[in-house]
Amino acid sequence: MINIVKKLIVASILFGTTLFAGSNSGITIPYVDFPMKEGKGMYSTKGKCNMCHSFGYVINQGLQSKKFWRDKVIKMIKVFKAPIQTDEDIETVTNYLFENYGNGKLE
Amino acid sequence: MQRRDFFKKAIAVAGTAAVGTNTVEAAQTQHPVDNQKVSDVAFPQKRPLITYSDRPPLLETPREVFTSALTPNDLFFVRWHMPMIPTYINPNKFYIHINGLVKNEIKISLNELKTNFEQVELTAVLQCGGNNRTAFKPTAGGIQWGVGAMGCAKWKGVKLKDVLKKAVLKKEAAWLGFNGEDKAVYQKTANFVRELDLKELTDDIILAYEMNGEDLPYLNGYPLRLIIPGFYSDSWIKMISNITVTKEKQKLHFMDHAYRIPDNTCECETPENLVQNTKPIEEMNVNALIGYPTTGAKVKNNAELIVRGVAFDGGHGIKKVELSTDGGATWTEAKLDDGTQGKYAYRSFSYAFTPKQSGKLTILSKATNEKGEIQPFSKEIQWNHGGYKYNGIDEVTVEVLT
Repeated sequence: MINIVKKLIVASILFGTTLFAGSNSGITIPYVDFPMKEGKGMYSTKGKCNMCHSFGYVINQGLQSKKFWRDKVIKMIKVFKAPIQTDEDIETVTNYLFENYGNGKLE
Repeated sequence: MQRRDFFKKAIAVAGTAAVGTNTVEAAQTQHPVDNQKVSDVAFPQKRPLITYSDRPPLLETPREVFTSALTPNDLFFVRWHMPMIPTYINPNKFYIHINGLVKNEIKISLNELKTNFEQVELTAVLQCGGNNRTAFKPTAGGIQWGVGAMGCAKWKGVKLKDVLKKAVLKKEAAWLGFNGEDKAVYQKTANFVRELDLKELTDDIILAYEMNGEDLPYLNGYPLRLIIPGFYSDSWIKMISNITVTKEKQKLHFMDHAYRIPDNTCECETPENLVQNTKPIEEMNVNALIGYPTTGAKVKNNAELIVRGVAFDGGHGIKKVELSTDGGATWTEAKLDDGTQGKYAYRSFSYAFTPKQSGKLTILSKATNEKGEIQPFSKEIQWNHGGYKYNGIDEVTVEVLT
């Protein structure tokens, strides 16, 4: 992992130099690892959330209540069409987030 | 915090968790999260910044950058809504399309924009409506920004008005919808489209291809972005490639639900009683930030300390910035730059003084604009569900060494 990150840094530095020289050959956005805590529902959450956005987006919210996480999951489904289709899936993702990134409060 | 206090607090928190109480926290505001660590990884065309996400990229500018009136491109914050961002754009094949209620549906190339239109330059602050969102408790929806979801640049481009003139708007035209090249993963997910009421179109709104004398960085919207000076940046569409003119306002999540605040005089509400009538965030309120020193800095007693920072508002202009080293009991005016960058730009300020006592020293800054609006203390700011428009008096705490 560290090696990949190092390579990416090197790549972006090299890249920055070419851009500076005025040739526009596009960019490569580096991959940044935002590790998920091991726990029940991790793989399911990973598949359903990280497909569209990094897990950093989730961690950025801080430790939150169960209601907060459930509302987020529902917003992702309603507004952004997240592939979370059944009530069971909603529960799995909500529970994973609350158990690992919860503040201990139900709401 | 004293060790004993820490344990007391920890027990109190653990206690609440154990009981599983559902008491709702009272809404309150505090100073936003500060001194977040800069990432080890630099994004293309950027120096390392505070990194909340790589997909879509969310990069925050560290506080110490805010000592000068212009923010360097490679330190400028980044916020995208959609994860699929073109990583290569051929500037010779890039067009902006104008369609909908126009007499001439047209596409204009980047080159045409640079040669067939009047070129204008304008310095303006670009600030996310949710900058400082970490000030709001309980957590308000959105990216949990610290103080650096903002920057100020000199933008060069063409007036949006001139571009629309080429397309000739039809009589019934009333709304402009802006769309960029970023996309969601799923086709079903709506694009990040923003709208502007034609009534709000001014000469100052430009389509910019240059930022501080260089091409826009990809992550700031290369090759073209919309600049709406004085307004929060929610409508400053990046990689803008389409403008659709309509009669009616389109139904859009990002217009109808996001970037809105309670439509009451305090622009506030409580988590238990969300206000139904909302309005767009639009004009930025008066704000100032100390760039140097930052919290935790160590300075010498009896040695001159020069505090530097930036102040801005929604375009009325900054009248004064005052500093206090006694918790706000007394205030002294800082020196402002000459203001030649215009009313939408940062005014950089400086304030020299000599600490006369060792120990912790808190420095506050407070801006007043030409309209007479003054920054409130952070605790006086009332909560809103989106955590928008925070503009509390800034503070940093340094340690004065003997």
